[in-house]
Amino acid sequence: MTGIVTTPEVATPPATAAARPERRRSTRRRSGRGALVGWLFLLPATVFYIAFVLWPILSTINYSFYDWNGITPATFVGVQNYVALVTQPELLGSIINAFVLIIFFSLIPTALGLVIAATIRGISGSRLAGIARVVLFLPQIIPLVAAGIIWTWLLSTDGLINQLLRGIGLGGITRAWLGDFTTALPAVGVIGAWVLLGLCTLLLLSGMSKLDPSLSEASRLDGAGAVREFLSITVPLLKAEIGVCITVTVIAALASFDIIYIATQGGPGNSTMVPGLQIFYLAFTQREVGLASALAVALMVLVLAVVLPIQRIFRGNDQ
Amino acid sequence: MSSVTTVRAGIPGRIILILLMIVTVVPFVSVFITALHPSGTYPSGIALPATPHWENFVQAFQVADMGALLLSSGIIVLAVVPISMLISTMAGFALGHLRPPGSRIAFLAFVLGLTLPLEGIITPLYYQVRSMGLLNTRWAIILPLIGLYMPFAIVWMRAHFIGMPAEITEAARIDGASTWQLFWRVQVPLARPALSSLGILLFLWTWNQFLLAIVLVDDPLKRTMAGALGAFQGQWGTNIPLLCAGALLILTPTLIVYLVFQRAFISALLEGSVKA
Amino acid sequence: MEKTRPKRRAAIRVPALAGMALAAVLGLSACAPGGSAAPSQTTATFAGGTPTCGTKPVTMNAYFETGFPLPKALTDEFTKQHPNVTWNIREDQFAVITQNAARTLSDSAPDLMRLPSIADLAKEGLLKNLDGYATAFGWDKWPASQLEQLRVDKSGSRGSGSLYAQGLNFSLTGVFYNKDLAKKAGITGTPTTLAELDADLAKAKAAGITPIAQFNGGATGGLAFPLQQLMAAYGSPTSINDWVFQKSGADIDTATNKQAAAHLEKWVKAGYFASDVNSLDYAGMMSRFIGGKSLFIFDGDWESGNLDKQMAGKAGFFLMPSATAGGKQAAMSAPLTYGIAAGAKHADCAATFLNWVATDKTARSIAVKVGGSHPMGLADAYMPEVDSSTVTGQTLAAGATVSKDNGAMDFIANATNAIYAKSWTPQLQSLVAGRVSSDDLLKSVQSDYLSQIKQ
Repeated sequence: MTGIVTTPEVATPPATAAARPERRRSTRRRSGRGALVGWLFLLPATVFYIAFVLWPILSTINYSFYDWNGITPATFVGVQNYVALVTQPELLGSIINAFVLIIFFSLIPTALGLVIAATIRGISGSRLAGIARVVLFLPQIIPLVAAGIIWTWLLSTDGLINQLLRGIGLGGITRAWLGDFTTALPAVGVIGAWVLLGLCTLLLLSGMSKLDPSLSEASRLDGAGAVREFLSITVPLLKAEIGVCITVTVIAALASFDIIYIATQGGPGNSTMVPGLQIFYLAFTQREVGLASALAVALMVLVLAVVLPIQRIFRGNDQ
Repeated sequence: MSSVTTVRAGIPGRIILILLMIVTVVPFVSVFITALHPSGTYPSGIALPATPHWENFVQAFQVADMGALLLSSGIIVLAVVPISMLISTMAGFALGHLRPPGSRIAFLAFVLGLTLPLEGIITPLYYQVRSMGLLNTRWAIILPLIGLYMPFAIVWMRAHFIGMPAEITEAARIDGASTWQLFWRVQVPLARPALSSLGILLFLWTWNQFLLAIVLVDDPLKRTMAGALGAFQGQWGTNIPLLCAGALLILTPTLIVYLVFQRAFISALLEGSVKA
Repeated sequence: MEKTRPKRRAAIRVPALAGMALAAVLGLSACAPGGSAAPSQTTATFAGGTPTCGTKPVTMNAYFETGFPLPKALTDEFTKQHPNVTWNIREDQFAVITQNAARTLSDSAPDLMRLPSIADLAKEGLLKNLDGYATAFGWDKWPASQLEQLRVDKSGSRGSGSLYAQGLNFSLTGVFYNKDLAKKAGITGTPTTLAELDADLAKAKAAGITPIAQFNGGATGGLAFPLQQLMAAYGSPTSINDWVFQKSGADIDTATNKQAAAHLEKWVKAGYFASDVNSLDYAGMMSRFIGGKSLFIFDGDWESGNLDKQMAGKAGFFLMPSATAGGKQAAMSAPLTYGIAAGAKHADCAATFLNWVATDKTARSIAVKVGGSHPMGLADAYMPEVDSSTVTGQTLAAGATVSKDNGAMDFIANATNAIYAKSWTPQLQSLVAGRVSSDDLLKSVQSDYLSQIKQ
């Protein structure tokens, strides 16, 4: 489910930044009739938002205090579901796995994207770069389910990855990447990195293209090395873009579902179980709706708790 | 930047760029070649089959009922995208321009929804949609999606309306336009660029929506494309060549739309940072 | 014909979308969830006489398992004999059916559906009670053991009580082997004791042949097959059945089962399983076995017809040998379970179909020739001729041995709805990876089991 949650953030930082300067006040706004008209404009969106987002959030919180199989009447159990969350290893484990995925979904695409963007920056206007833009966005366009199907095949025993490894003399390390306890989670992470790398690279590249070239010229005259220039000048100036990248990808990691549902179903063992998939299983296969809801509440809180500080760090200086 | 540095940066840059493109494209190529192997076999990596079995695509087209799938996804998109765009533009206009009392709180409530993972509310959504009697209908996808898109779409449109100069409104007001006329005749036409990007994003997310489809709609022919692909995998996942052919077929419409409107797609996806 | 129907509201069609959304907000203000939407427990009742499919056109909604031609072959033949009945069939892999079962039964109410573990589904009133049909069609005169696994009592234990499902045939598991590979490994006869089987495995390994390519990947822990066979080789099928049927006090963590699990662990450590079993799915296993890349597989007679076709003369079957010479032999044997949703529109026709499967001559031939397994029904009912040298012939003969030894047992994966996906599969995958010991495996499965049946 990166779709809905991810790209929103792409757009927000600049939008809010742009919002600050002008605070026009129209006198008409304060009148009673104006307020009514304003709220009439807000009404349809608000109704949908309350009905299909806010109300379900409240329901999730409500369910999380019950033991309910979805069919027979529920029993109130207080915080018992939350206790289970921190005491049952497979539930806690799914949250830990989601954090491990951040490395692959978030840190690798952002870091690699920075390096790549810096390297290709000089040719960002060329025809090759134009083609590259189209190509690198492909993984963003296709459904994550398709990415999952494609990579499940690439990573299988007879898949392309093993074929390549054998080709370069690394036949010894070939394995069923998604079926091995130690490699399954990183392998799932690689799928996510593949999906998100293009987006991050292009985001960062477009950020770089707006930087004033004279800045790097100046530092080069000072004799600063390319690496130092990159770290001390380029990266800090790209703070906003890096923040966007990290926010988008962290949410994608914590709320991952589609890829794992297709590629491993959480296995082998529970080694790739993530909260999103666990909620789905708990709610619809095991029908422990209360427990599923407690995990859902934890997931929602977790995403907020991780994303808000990131936003603060990366946006702080701009304002 | 001097021409010397451009050339110097050019060569490693080109190599890296080409490598990156290969990494992006090769998975698709591998799947395509696999799709040409005899149905039901386990081909090995990238190895060309003795004779290409194009009939896999025909078979996949038939078993997946592609025509009906396209129609279903089309119906869902046609319901979700225009409604979402209209009501979020109205709300964005209210929050960014009219600003009735209490609109700050409303705005904050929408911003709160920006980071919401869908898994967080999928369980109650299921019971809610069921009690509305809408399970296994396209409404089960359409209605929740509109609600779920509101935070992003409203924040997006609000940002646009905040950036509009106040003079436009004042001029319209002097001409005696009502608020609705001001909105519909003056502001909406001016918002066209923001709206078209929003439309592209909503199209893509709707088309690719998976979790809602697999939880709320059993019949693949009433799902979105991604949901249908999930069903195809659930049924044919053990027949690798057929699965690959089906996955590619299901991707094709999106790819065509993307290649035709690539510029708009890319700028929509990057827009936020480009604006800054 | 049917009197009762679950409470399902017709699709609401409110023209104004906003109005509908608002209705949802206002209509959902109850505090404690649950209760209202459950379909009521239904028992089949007829106006009189035997139920039929009638003469008017009927479209049956069915939900089948992908990859097995039997149900489709039967429905095609049924339509040939009853042209007014047509079928609208949805198919999924078994793991997907398991995930969807409860939701599909309550929300789409299929007329005929392949079922995973039925206890929870019956207890929650999602399945049609078939007692009325059993009386009307005379299913109660069949050998009682055939339908035992399909009965659920009021407390939710299986093995007795009302009938909630039927079988298309009843299957049997054991070991299939590749005759060419056996010869190559120097194996001369089928093993009669567990020690002999161990020796055969060692011979294959020494000859560079993969002894067992068992599926164990994704959500399907196929090592449950050899594990359960080993359990029966060391212990008795009765205690396993008690556990599967959720009899009170039943325990999987017994002394003989520990021996069995330790034996399986020994096989894992000896490298008798293909190195990538944890990513091998069922179809992958079949493709390797048929392709001559595995000496043995632990599987069921639903593949007999397929193997007779694809490996004609090259595949053989034997029942799992006992740990002691001359000991009794057991097999997992279960009806190929199909049920009718409590709210199905054409329950009578579905029941008519299930009865036809067990009684019609052509249907019984299809059950054997396409399905490879023994048909349901009366003990003296028609049986088609089968060549005893074929795999189908061998599995049918094995069925007689198992019933003589009283060795039929239900699959340990059917004990509860979640036990396979949440316990057996991850635990067996961990065992393969050396991350859990055989002792701990049984302990954690038992503790999951207890927490699951407590609900």
